[in-house]
Amino acid sequence: MNVAISPAVAVRELILPGGCPLHLVERHGPAILSAKLWMRGGSSADAAGARGSAQLLAGVLSRGCGTLSGDALADLVEGCGAGLRCEAAEDGTLISLKCASSDAETLLPLLLQMVNAPWLVDDQIALERQLNLQTLQRQKEDPFQLAHDQLRGLLYGHGPYGHDPLGVDEELCHVQRSHLQTVASQLGGSGAVMVLAGRIPEQVEEMLLKDNAGLQTHTPIRQAGPSGTDGSAFASAEDDTEQLVLMLGATTTPLGTPQALALRLLHCHLGVGMSSRLFVALREEHGLAYDVGVHHPARLGDAPFVFHLSSSSERAAEAMQQLLTEWQRLLEQPISQSDLDLALAKFRGQEALGRQTSSQIADRHALVLGHGLPFDFADRCLEQAKQLTPQDLQQAAQQLLKQPSLSLCGPASAIKAAEAVWQTSFFSR
Amino acid sequence: MEGTTNVYSLTPLPGSSLFSLPEPQHNSLTNGVKLVEIDLPEAPVVCLDLWCCAGSAWESREESGLAHFLEHMVFKGSAKLESGQFDLHVEALGGNSNAATGFDDVHYHVLIPPEASADALELLLDLVLQPRLDPQDFAMERQVVLEELAQSEDQPEEVAFQELLRQACGNHAYGLPILGRRDALEAHRPEQMAAFHQRRYRSDRCCLAIAGPLAGLHLQPMLNASPLGRLQPSESTASLEPLQLKAGSTRLELPRLEAARLLMAWQLPGAADQDQVMGGDLLTTLLAEGRRSRLVERLRERLRLVESIDLDLNVLEAGCLVLLEAVCEAEHLPAVKREVHQVLLELQDTAPTESELLRARRLVGNGYRFSLEVAGSVAAMVGNSALWGRQHNLEQPLTWLEQWDATRLTQDLIPLLHPERAFTLEAVPA
Repeated sequence: MNVAISPAVAVRELILPGGCPLHLVERHGPAILSAKLWMRGGSSADAAGARGSAQLLAGVLSRGCGTLSGDALADLVEGCGAGLRCEAAEDGTLISLKCASSDAETLLPLLLQMVNAPWLVDDQIALERQLNLQTLQRQKEDPFQLAHDQLRGLLYGHGPYGHDPLGVDEELCHVQRSHLQTVASQLGGSGAVMVLAGRIPEQVEEMLLKDNAGLQTHTPIRQAGPSGTDGSAFASAEDDTEQLVLMLGATTTPLGTPQALALRLLHCHLGVGMSSRLFVALREEHGLAYDVGVHHPARLGDAPFVFHLSSSSERAAEAMQQLLTEWQRLLEQPISQSDLDLALAKFRGQEALGRQTSSQIADRHALVLGHGLPFDFADRCLEQAKQLTPQDLQQAAQQLLKQPSLSLCGPASAIKAAEAVWQTSFFSR
Repeated sequence: MEGTTNVYSLTPLPGSSLFSLPEPQHNSLTNGVKLVEIDLPEAPVVCLDLWCCAGSAWESREESGLAHFLEHMVFKGSAKLESGQFDLHVEALGGNSNAATGFDDVHYHVLIPPEASADALELLLDLVLQPRLDPQDFAMERQVVLEELAQSEDQPEEVAFQELLRQACGNHAYGLPILGRRDALEAHRPEQMAAFHQRRYRSDRCCLAIAGPLAGLHLQPMLNASPLGRLQPSESTASLEPLQLKAGSTRLELPRLEAARLLMAWQLPGAADQDQVMGGDLLTTLLAEGRRSRLVERLRERLRLVESIDLDLNVLEAGCLVLLEAVCEAEHLPAVKREVHQVLLELQDTAPTESELLRARRLVGNGYRFSLEVAGSVAAMVGNSALWGRQHNLEQPLTWLEQWDATRLTQDLIPLLHPERAFTLEAVPA
């Protein structure tokens, strides 16, 4: 007995003119349509000196395209009560549309028009750039963000994953229209995929291709993404907070590699749910934190694998010690078979619960297809995961997690106490 | 602005004919506990959602933080269940559980495969209604709650909102932190918590919502003999004190703040009047949802004074709260305040146009329909309504929404958002 994974009613695959694969996932249920256009690139493809370009471009794409001004576009989308978002992440730029199926004819043509014929008006670029710069500034209020930014620096240096997708302020402020035009002309050049899920209208292809000739692109191929830096490193930032934020992390492996699945199960074991190892050890047994968990996003390159928690300053040393103990345990001993079974159940449960809405379904398929993985990749993983042993998980940990880096953010005294524990640890030697 | 006028005629409002909404079935146990079931045949899981009128607003001054602390303690085990056993059981089946404490109420919810839902229901009722409250667990969990408090105090934005509510709501419970005062948390004893539980978790104050593929489950028969069916009715009929938000303004210097904030709070009619709630939703959407809403268009898109501006409707029993947040540079605060006032004053004088209303109505209607895709949010919606004695079906809010027009908004709700009725807090970096 387990959470059932609801099968799609029907899946069709087409190729749009120009080469963009289109997957149509037909579902029963409410007349809602979700569309995702995933184009490889994203912030990891930002040019040196222009970090933040991909996100800036993404923001400007919906500020005028084809025959529609930014205002007209907003009127059209909001007038249908729809949601249209365009965002750059590390590995790609994603355009998302969610609407009532009855509005598909009005809204679907926008997806490719935004990519093929964006206006890129100077005035709108200036606005979007100013908003991104302000967001970068405001994010510094959050000690988790500070610790996370600092850890990203330790793990990826000045590499493609080394900056926030929003950019770096001193570079973003100089990004001009001419550069965005170049970046826009390259959209789709490294591969793209479109997934529609929900109640799919008749003649969906015609709708997508209205007033444009498709997207010049190709199916995303398997290809190694950016890698991380080597070795353990330490960084701290003083902040006048009550708590100390601790982040212990390493760069690991891309989605779809043999050890990625073992790592995903370790993620479930350590950080998913109230029965997870970190939750039980740090919160239930020691009361050291409210929020504790694992951050391990899917990436085309070496994905980060991070333990995070925040604990009162006076308990910084104890929190540091416990976090290190849990990390080291992964290297030194295999988890039990019953823990592995629990991790498998969570992995499966997460898959099922992550496929409840049309948006979730479109999003998950777009992500794996964008990584050059097969449409049914997630289902294959569920099968393959059953074959993994505790030893497989330990081996993955020994290979990928042997040299974690530490990022601290909080009061000076707490940093000092935690750093002292780190200095005597196995990893800092 | 091309294309703006003919858009609406191309796209008719999605009516109920497109797909019919599932129908909630209302019942009650012999002791008066409310039960609402809603069949969602396509959902992969069943959501069990137990609601109780036991939010922080029901605490005495000494009990500050106890409602939320109790919600934590529930997961530390019951007479039958060891600490953590419930989570383990649910998560080993691929499900999950969580809980949330608000001002008015608290709820505990589980997502679980249908075949396991009877077991999970039995465990959930035992856990929530017969908590163990072990003194050692109590001391440990107090640390966790204090860490939660510290974590929120390290976010200056949360500190600013808390201060806004404190000053705007006066002595009302909505002005006090749900997490509680630190001194009170440090003084709490398990016996006090048991007394609070005993007083608030009563048959007339509980509601169980079940949403998901219900065919063949027959969960109802077991309920009368369960701890839920054995609950006694309450002895007194305490009711929430009506909110009386006071107008005013204050300024706050906050360390670690990177951008200034303009926060404003207004009061709208309480949740009992769901028709007014839908009107409030429509009005706040018209004003601040999307680039073409009045506030976003003027302050972010045209004048470029703010990084963001949001207007949220918080649906509460003793009076809904509309909260505005504008994020801006400190030197722009006076202009931001002036422009927000201007927009709201213009609204008092000139009724919303038909196209503005259509836009807002479709955004609210679709947002509502989109939220019905997930069993968890359906259960929460019908569970919360039934808890407070509202038995309308899922279609009804959409009907109310359709009935709001410019005249009614202008008469009933727009005057309530007059700048002079607001409490305003300006927060600047220290």
